[in-house]
Amino acid sequence: MNDARVSFERLTWVCGCLALALAPDVGRLPLWILATAAAAMAIRLTLAALGRGALPRAVRIAVTVCAIAALLLQFRTFNGISAGTALLALVAGLKLLETRTRRDLCVVALIVYFLSLAALLVGSSFWLLAYLIGVCWLTTATLLRVTVASASPDWPVSLRYAGKVLLHAVPIALALWLFFPRFAEPLWRVSGDDQSAISGLGESMSPGDITELVLSDQIAFHARFSSAPPPSEERYWRGPVLHEFDGRTWRRGGADLGAAPALIAAGPAYRYEISLEPQRHNWIYLLEWPARWDLPHGILTDDYMVMLPTVGRPIDVSAVSYTHAEFNGLLGDARRRSDTRLPRGSNPRTVEFARRLRAEHPAESDFIAAVLAKFRTEEFFYTLTPPPLGADSTDDFLFETRRGFCGHYASAFAVLMRAAGIPARVVTGYLGGSYNPYADRWVVRQSDAHAWTEVWIEGRGWLRVDPTAAIAPARVDRSVREAQNAAGAFGFESAGRLPWIADLRLRMDALRELWRARILQYDQDSQQTVLAHLMIPEPDSRKLIIVLAGALSLVLAWLTWQVRGELRARPRDPLSRSYARLCAKLAARGLPRQPHEGAETYAARITQSRPELGLAVQSLCRQYNELRYGAGHSSGDAARFAAAVRAFRPRHSRGSSET
Amino acid sequence: MRLRQSATTKFRAWTARRFGTDALPYQIHRRRIYILPSRHGLAVAALIIAMLIGALNYNSNLGLAFAFLMVGVALVAMHHCHRNLLGLVIDADPEADGFEGSQTQLNFALYNPSALHRFDIEIHCAELGSAVRSIPAGARAQAGVTLAATRRGIFRLSQFELRTRYPFGWFRAWTYVQAPLLAYIYPRPVGGHRLPASAVAQGSAASAEQRGEEDFAGLRPYAPGIPLKHMAWKVLARGGEAAVRHYTGDVVEPEWLDWHDLAGIAPEARLSQLCVWVVDADAARRRYGLRLPDFELRPARGTVHRLACLRALAMFSAGSP
Repeated sequence: MNDARVSFERLTWVCGCLALALAPDVGRLPLWILATAAAAMAIRLTLAALGRGALPRAVRIAVTVCAIAALLLQFRTFNGISAGTALLALVAGLKLLETRTRRDLCVVALIVYFLSLAALLVGSSFWLLAYLIGVCWLTTATLLRVTVASASPDWPVSLRYAGKVLLHAVPIALALWLFFPRFAEPLWRVSGDDQSAISGLGESMSPGDITELVLSDQIAFHARFSSAPPPSEERYWRGPVLHEFDGRTWRRGGADLGAAPALIAAGPAYRYEISLEPQRHNWIYLLEWPARWDLPHGILTDDYMVMLPTVGRPIDVSAVSYTHAEFNGLLGDARRRSDTRLPRGSNPRTVEFARRLRAEHPAESDFIAAVLAKFRTEEFFYTLTPPPLGADSTDDFLFETRRGFCGHYASAFAVLMRAAGIPARVVTGYLGGSYNPYADRWVVRQSDAHAWTEVWIEGRGWLRVDPTAAIAPARVDRSVREAQNAAGAFGFESAGRLPWIADLRLRMDALRELWRARILQYDQDSQQTVLAHLMIPEPDSRKLIIVLAGALSLVLAWLTWQVRGELRARPRDPLSRSYARLCAKLAARGLPRQPHEGAETYAARITQSRPELGLAVQSLCRQYNELRYGAGHSSGDAARFAAAVRAFRPRHSRGSSET
Repeated sequence: MRLRQSATTKFRAWTARRFGTDALPYQIHRRRIYILPSRHGLAVAALIIAMLIGALNYNSNLGLAFAFLMVGVALVAMHHCHRNLLGLVIDADPEADGFEGSQTQLNFALYNPSALHRFDIEIHCAELGSAVRSIPAGARAQAGVTLAATRRGIFRLSQFELRTRYPFGWFRAWTYVQAPLLAYIYPRPVGGHRLPASAVAQGSAASAEQRGEEDFAGLRPYAPGIPLKHMAWKVLARGGEAAVRHYTGDVVEPEWLDWHDLAGIAPEARLSQLCVWVVDADAARRRYGLRLPDFELRPARGTVHRLACLRALAMFSAGSP
């Protein structure tokens, strides 16, 4: 059976399954790997269409060696999800090149299953899971067609069969998923994992290079306030703080310099919880200024970023922040140097302008106000499609183009401050966020990304200055955007002029939250909660395994019953079903109906051998005959007959030796 | 491989002792179905374990869900594989016949009394081979396992096997049916000797035959087996006993196919020659008898007689004088 040649049609379907399983990896895997797999499929299908067999052995070996070598060059390892997926994709493609027998096709089908799993390790959306289960369905149907040796079932039958197998597998999967013990820590760490898609801001910012800022609807994080939320213009979510400027690009710069200055909180405390998707970076976003947070390994840097030792896992943090705070103490020398440094000779006009303005306004606060007044009164525009800037980006922006978004203004402002000798830094993060009433939480999207500045005022400490606010108040005053009036003006078309679309988006977000909390973050604690719901006292891992065993036994017993039940032909009309039940009950007592016996003869025979049952059986059989062959009965009669059969319980014969 | 073979042999012997002989037709009982993962199934198990380790390691609940779904699919496949044999009814022709050097078939009949189509049911006879059939719901199927008859004599099979790998080939379920099957292997029909003259009746046997059908000799009581065209319907219609017409043609002198006429050639060659004569005599629809050293079949004609003669030749043991 294994030597049977593979037909073109089967090959096509296996190739289709492989292509579908690889589809989620497009954009994640290097293009040449997908291209190699696609080329292998195309070559094999062409050969099959021409009626030829697989490629010669030497060619296959050469191609394999080249592909594996290229893979090693690219990844330096086979470890990790990307490298592993790439390897599997290559192996599947190359295996297709040599498919000769059904067994080879089966191997490819197994690789398809594994590729689906690999895609799920990276992605986490409901749609991905649904899609991959669909792929699994198709693959299973294909596998059925490939493995059946005698006349194989046609497509509708195969698909229906595979669907039924998957449906029957669901209860098993559910029992295992609910009660299979989870580990708190991974078994081992895999190095070089780029587990998550890149989301969030980077560690650098160069506004001059960006000519079109694409506002993405992608969700950065969620927040839920247990106290009243701060007003939108104070909802600054603090992210990377940038210190180093080279004339065009702001970077995070040097190492951590000393301890964070002590914070004197003022105003109301805001309590909230942040839910972050897995990210590649190692900081978290907190409301400015964070006072407390419950991360055992979180580290507070001197510029008030909360850093994590590990990346790549979803994080939930509860924190307390104050939107107003003052600082106690002095700016360290190292920080003062790093935050007033400008590259020598760059942006000469800006430096010149700042010095002149500072001479006019010796007080720091006056100088800041003068700069902001310049932004407000002169022809500065807020745009998402700024013109490109030259080498001296700040000069170009301040004196030539005068068009930009938050990054431009924050950058220019900080450069002006530094040129005037005031320590200044650029802070990136998010501003605002929208409330979702269905999930009772705030959604912060990539389109809420923002950049602002902080300047050091002697005696007061770090002061937040948002120069963008001077230009485009709408950009800061979120109540405008929340009313969705100014949305179009800022290119937030997708936020919707149609209220129901916005509403739908909020509902989807609520579902996403449910998905995340109930499914993606289901862990040891959740399992204990489930056990507690099942009224199991003092749940622990040992009891979890007992429950798992119990649930599996139940499910498997159900499965056995279900699977065997399909062997019996189930009569469609209720009357025949009731009659079959009556016969089955009597058969269980050693009195099976012979195939040739009608209801009357059967009843007569039973009366002869078991007189005590005779009366009841005769009555039932007469009822059946009347309903079956008599005229004019209602469906109520059939139901009454069914009830009578259900109530009929023949006892074992006492005297008989058969029992 | 040898280890596996000896284990299989021991297991088959054990099932034979444990369950005795089955009456045919036999409906497969669930206790008699054995099931193990196939080699492909072991690969699937390894795959699923790798999936589980991967998903646990990356703490991916979706990955775990997918891996558990695969566990479920495998378990369902196991149940379906077992079910594919459950309740199937198998019948076999207990006797088969064939000439040495020809392909003889052991004939089987499968009946699927259930509501499900059964794919890929394989009937396997040890050392012979298999036949694969798919049987629709409520249908019957015939299958023959070919026996390459290489030696005259009786081929005995004490049990045969029903197997399936449906669905997906991840599991193999099988059952042993303990039913003695026989195959009579006749001698190879070769030999150029003519019938000795003494054995041939006066006149042409064929013409005697034809004449025999014409000469009505009287009525005899009906007995089962007599062709219906000989029935005396008119007698029956008058209310008399069932009777058949009797013809004089039946008294034509029969010919004897005698072992002793072939003195001087090897025993197997003698049997082969007798075999040719039986086949020829039957083809010519003559009456003939067979005489072996310790065995004699009285002259007769027809399929049953031919079968008896050929089987006698198949069973003849050359040791006897």
